[in-house]
Amino acid sequence: MQTNFTIAALADPAMRESEKILRTCVHCGFCTATCPTYLLLGDELDSPRGRIYLIKDMLEGGKPASEEVVKHVDRCLSCLSCMTTCPSGVHYMHLVDHARAYIDHTYTRSAPDRFMRALLARILPYPQRFRAALFAALLAKPARPLVGALPFVGKRMAAMLALAPARAPAPPPVERLAIATPQRARVAILEGCAQPALAPSINAAARRLFARLGVAVVPAPGEGCCGALVHHMGREEDALAFARANVDAWTRLIENGGLDAIVITASGCGTTIKDYGYMLRADAAYAQKAARVSALAKDVTEFLSTLDLAPAPPAGLTLAYHSACSMQHGQKITDLPKNLLRNAGFAVKDVPESHICCGSAGTYNIMQSELAGRLRDRKLGNIARLKVDAVAAGNIGCIAQLSSGAGAPPVVHTVELLDWAYGGPRPEALPKN
Amino acid sequence: MILSPTSEAELIEAVRAARAPLAIEGGGSKGGLGRPLQAQDTLSLKNLGGVIFYEPAEMVFRARAGTPVAQLEQMLAEHGQMLPFEPMNHQSIYGAAGAPTIGAVAACNISGPRRISHGAARDSLIGVRFVNGFGEAINSGGRVMKNVTGLDLVKLQAGAFGTLGPLSEVTFKVLPRPSTQATLALHGLDDARAIGALCRAVGSPFEISGAAHLPAGILGDAPRTLLRIENVPESVVYRLGELQKIVGGGDTLDAAQSEALWRQVRDVAAFASPDARALWRISTAPSRAVDLVRRVQQGGAVAHFYDWSGGLVWLAVETGDDARAADIRAAVAACGGHATLVRAPVDLRARVDVFQPPSAPLMALTRAVKASFDPNAILNPGRMYAGV
Amino acid sequence: MTAIAFPKPDPAILARRDEIIAGLAALVPPECLVTSEDERRAFETDALTAYRRLPLAVVLPRTTEETSKVMAFLHGAGVKVVARGAGTSLAGGAIPQEDAVVVGLSKMSKILGVDFADRSMRVQAGVTNLAISNAVAADGFFYAPDPSSQLACTIGGNIGMNSGGAHCLKYGVTTNNILGARMVLADGAIVEMGGDWLDSGGLDFLGLVIGSEGQLGIVTEATVRLLRQAEGARPVLFGFPTSEAAGACVADIIGNGIIPVAIEFMDKLAIEICEAFAHAGYPLDAGALLIVEVEGSETEMDAQLQRIVEIAQRHGVSTVRESKSAMETAAIWKGRKSAFGATGRVADYICMDGTVPTSQLCHVLEKTDEIVKHYGLRVANVFHAGDGNMHPLVMYNVNDPAEQEKAEAAGMDILKLCVDVGGCLTGEHGVGIEKRDLMRHQFSEADLAQQMRVRAAFDEGWLLNPAKVFPLDGRTIAATSAR
Ligand SMILES: Cc1cc2nc3c(=O)[nH]c(=O)nc-3n(C[C@H](O)[C@H](O)[C@H](O)COP(=O)(O)OP(=O)(O)OC[C@H]3O[C@@H](n4cnc5c(N)ncnc54)[C@H](O)[C@@H]3O)c2cc1C
Ligand code: SF4
Ligand code: SF4
Repeated sequence: MQTNFTIAALADPAMRESEKILRTCVHCGFCTATCPTYLLLGDELDSPRGRIYLIKDMLEGGKPASEEVVKHVDRCLSCLSCMTTCPSGVHYMHLVDHARAYIDHTYTRSAPDRFMRALLARILPYPQRFRAALFAALLAKPARPLVGALPFVGKRMAAMLALAPARAPAPPPVERLAIATPQRARVAILEGCAQPALAPSINAAARRLFARLGVAVVPAPGEGCCGALVHHMGREEDALAFARANVDAWTRLIENGGLDAIVITASGCGTTIKDYGYMLRADAAYAQKAARVSALAKDVTEFLSTLDLAPAPPAGLTLAYHSACSMQHGQKITDLPKNLLRNAGFAVKDVPESHICCGSAGTYNIMQSELAGRLRDRKLGNIARLKVDAVAAGNIGCIAQLSSGAGAPPVVHTVELLDWAYGGPRPEALPKN
Repeated sequence: MILSPTSEAELIEAVRAARAPLAIEGGGSKGGLGRPLQAQDTLSLKNLGGVIFYEPAEMVFRARAGTPVAQLEQMLAEHGQMLPFEPMNHQSIYGAAGAPTIGAVAACNISGPRRISHGAARDSLIGVRFVNGFGEAINSGGRVMKNVTGLDLVKLQAGAFGTLGPLSEVTFKVLPRPSTQATLALHGLDDARAIGALCRAVGSPFEISGAAHLPAGILGDAPRTLLRIENVPESVVYRLGELQKIVGGGDTLDAAQSEALWRQVRDVAAFASPDARALWRISTAPSRAVDLVRRVQQGGAVAHFYDWSGGLVWLAVETGDDARAADIRAAVAACGGHATLVRAPVDLRARVDVFQPPSAPLMALTRAVKASFDPNAILNPGRMYAGV
Repeated sequence: MTAIAFPKPDPAILARRDEIIAGLAALVPPECLVTSEDERRAFETDALTAYRRLPLAVVLPRTTEETSKVMAFLHGAGVKVVARGAGTSLAGGAIPQEDAVVVGLSKMSKILGVDFADRSMRVQAGVTNLAISNAVAADGFFYAPDPSSQLACTIGGNIGMNSGGAHCLKYGVTTNNILGARMVLADGAIVEMGGDWLDSGGLDFLGLVIGSEGQLGIVTEATVRLLRQAEGARPVLFGFPTSEAAGACVADIIGNGIIPVAIEFMDKLAIEICEAFAHAGYPLDAGALLIVEVEGSETEMDAQLQRIVEIAQRHGVSTVRESKSAMETAAIWKGRKSAFGATGRVADYICMDGTVPTSQLCHVLEKTDEIVKHYGLRVANVFHAGDGNMHPLVMYNVNDPAEQEKAEAAGMDILKLCVDVGGCLTGEHGVGIEKRDLMRHQFSEADLAQQMRVRAAFDEGWLLNPAKVFPLDGRTIAATSAR
């Protein structure tokens, strides 16, 4: 597309990058057809092409973000379905990230909006705070209708409560695991923020499976939230701070004994960590280290696929495989998880419309609860057509989102299923035989 | 007076000179088609004939409107090609002597059984040249298959029965003639089952190029349900076998039998002259065709058969006062589609609607469009609708 | 780029903007009305992005009735209307005007009914082309016309442009595959054309409306003809040393009376661009590529292929590769259908769309190359060769006004060439604004005047998409020619 930036504007590297992205877009509209919000709303403004255009206009003009632009950018799930579709290779992710940061700098949100965002940004990325909040949420859950009626923030708070699991998950089990010999690899596993509180069983399963396979997991002191949550809110500095902290933590390991991979069990985090190299490209002190971290970052299924797991006998279970957007669009991992599951003895079915987001998308299901709910129900409807015993997914956000729907089948992390197939405990979410 | 121009210039002259309505005809094979006209002069295109070009390698020809269809079919056959849409020859039902011309085939959008797989005449017609009421020669379309340049007056002319101006030249795309054909015949089915079988077959991947049902008394004593396949010999054999699985048996008519029978279907031989009963041609959705016929039957006996998998119904009725127009229009209104009174005495065709009366807004558009071609109503006025 | 003129906006309409928007707001809910400048901006162009006009407002009606009310109101107010489907027109067909309201069909995307016995399907106009086929694929059916943009473009837009696609060689284009449609006329009246049966009775309004580029009315629903999928289909890649050899081979295949389902052509540059995106296994060493798809049973495909291979050998084919799996087939078509978009990775482009007689393919390819070189630009050719529908992609830098002018001039020269060898300006993308000023090269004044009078019979006030298709002075000419 034609662009119209001033030379002065292009002096800013972020602007230059966005200009480059805009120039590759040919405005063909292909991406509209696979965008979840366009499918729901039928308005070009809520499609990738429309958003790209809004962003282009905003950036070119160098003007503060307007309420309208913010509305449509906020509605974007960052599911990146549009990037999979785009034949021109438009890097929508980097463009919308830039736009969000730009909005954060130039737009003053309403007070309730600021409150919600600040609340989420202060709680979610911090495991202790999150665990405490979760506990509070469990207590408050019965009061959901009341909360929903609160002015301004009620709907979002209620949505947040709806996502909290029905019971508090058991605290992380302390297991002493014997690593099978010969040791095949040395890795770090991202602990992250919300996942240890919501579903500690996931990383526990990964550790058990790794131990059996001869993969040593080394702790990475100082590691924390990947930064995706605040990144998607446009809080660029916060996001970069998280990124730097993680880069430091892993770099210490890399430079001290080496790492074969940084394994991530939440694909949402994986997408962001794989982008650290880009996010920190302008930071001379970090650019190289960040790129090295990004190159080592692997989704757990990606990593497992390198280990040649033996075929396991049929498990007698039929699964729907739900591919998280961050998995299929963000990291372009499509068949690996299914192949691993099939190899482990599960029958695996594809979900119709599998490229469409379930509505989870980080904090989206809280900030845009209405759209998120419609997407979840659409997804569950598609899953229901398959008549399966359970759903496998590789991202905690999707697991929480899908599980919150009425009549949802059990949703289990891929690695828990694999751990079970190779000798671990039966995942708790699965019905007892 | 009959005007028979031999060139486009003469045709233009004739139109420009006309002060009163002209009746337009081609070879005169379909004089009975449409509403009768109050015209002193007839403009016959039969002397405006001749092939302008034929490019077998591009599968396209252009001919002047008065060129006899038979001559073109002969020309195409010599190069192993054919008109895809298998136009009906109306001589059979009218008992007329005049030979059908290609211009009339285009103007009346005449197709036959193969319409179901290969489209109508309008689908193969890719270019026309005609003279409008201002006496101007107008071009639309061209000689290439894919062409979306400007408004598609070609389609508008196909089926306008000359009311938008006499065609002087037509350009058609053609197709290779399949090397052989055969027909699968099922016996003894009632209408409903027959249409069911036809729809199943047509919904199969085996490219049925003719799907007709002849109830008892139509070209034979017992009901026959016909499915035609045209292709290379091995494919015909293979596909017949597969079809039998789908429709549950049936026996095969070889190429010669098949060809002869489909010619009879095409030309509506069952109701050929001297049969003088009124004849209706009804287009509807196959799944509602049987119901449509049943509704007409409730008001009195009819003879009928189905082509196009049931989507085309030919109905012969006693002429009576209105050739059962009221019943038939009511049945069509209930089932959807459109009915044309193809054969009836002149006075009757002046009294009842020959073509399906369009809805009010479409009728208004019809008038406006007619006026945009022929504001003085010189060209075949009233052929389709009174006063248009 | 300013080479193509738009009419001057009517100041009287601009002055009444608030009143017009208030009128629309009374007819549709807020989420169906776009009025802020930032938001209208996103509707200022389609896939011909070099041209842009900010519309007065955008309405996104949800039903035929809503559309009818909107149209009646705008008609009463004398406001121009530009229909918009997915806005993928390459001819600028959906580009608005400052004094026009865009009526977008994107919210009307429901499938209304499917009938396999009658092989028909009723859909709202905003349903995408591919969604139609997807809805019936599991039952073994499909909707035949398959524009490369089928993922995104709407059936309403397909009707607007009479769109074609790779598989139209055998199955025909939009006009051959639509049975009926509901349309809202300029004044809001609703008409039903055709139905779910073959051949509409009376004048073929359906045939007239298809390809009328939103100038006769707004289509809100359509009944499409479904076809049964063939038993099998197999695309085969034929690599040739030169474009000329490939072009000659196409003419020879058709000349031998063989009509595969599709014959698609790519030249060297196009092969490189598409392969980089789709990894379809296109032969990178070839000078030109034909994708020929055959269908039928295994034996039938083999038989037809054998004949095609023999012909290809006579033209020095260097590679023949059959698709061996559904995945490969998908990749082969994905590459082809993404060709234009993928070209965007390399450069900006304008896409020409002339059709020529197949016997002229070689000649026109050669000349095209000459023309583009003359302007100092590059061209990639990727097109529907079986029916002679060329798509030279003239590549340039849209941020450089001088190059843009050259690209447009080259495009115009190419289109004139197509007409001069017996073809036409546009085979499937439509005239839009892009080829509007070339119409006189293909048509006489009388031809154009006749078309314009027909147009006026539907829209006396020329309110519907008025800047498109016909030369801007056309309206007055049409009026005076109607003596
Ligand atoms: C990458 C790419 C590849 C393409 N490939 C092909 C191809 O292979 N074959 C092909 O034919 N085209 C192709 N096109 C062109 C384009 O996709 C078609 O013209 C398509 O039919 C436009 O559909 P749309 O829904 O986007 O309509 P729009 O672009 O929105 O509108 C097209 C025209 O139709 C009118 N219109 C839209 N909706 C309606 C309606 N409901 N009622 C009345 N008028 C209406 C508009 O006013 C406009 O004049 C391609 C385009 C792109 C960008
Ligand atoms: S698919 Fe890509 S090139 Fe096309 S409009 Fe979307 S982002 Fe732009
Ligand atoms: S990221 Fe997802 S929601 Fe956002 S524009 Fe792309 S497809 Fe639409």
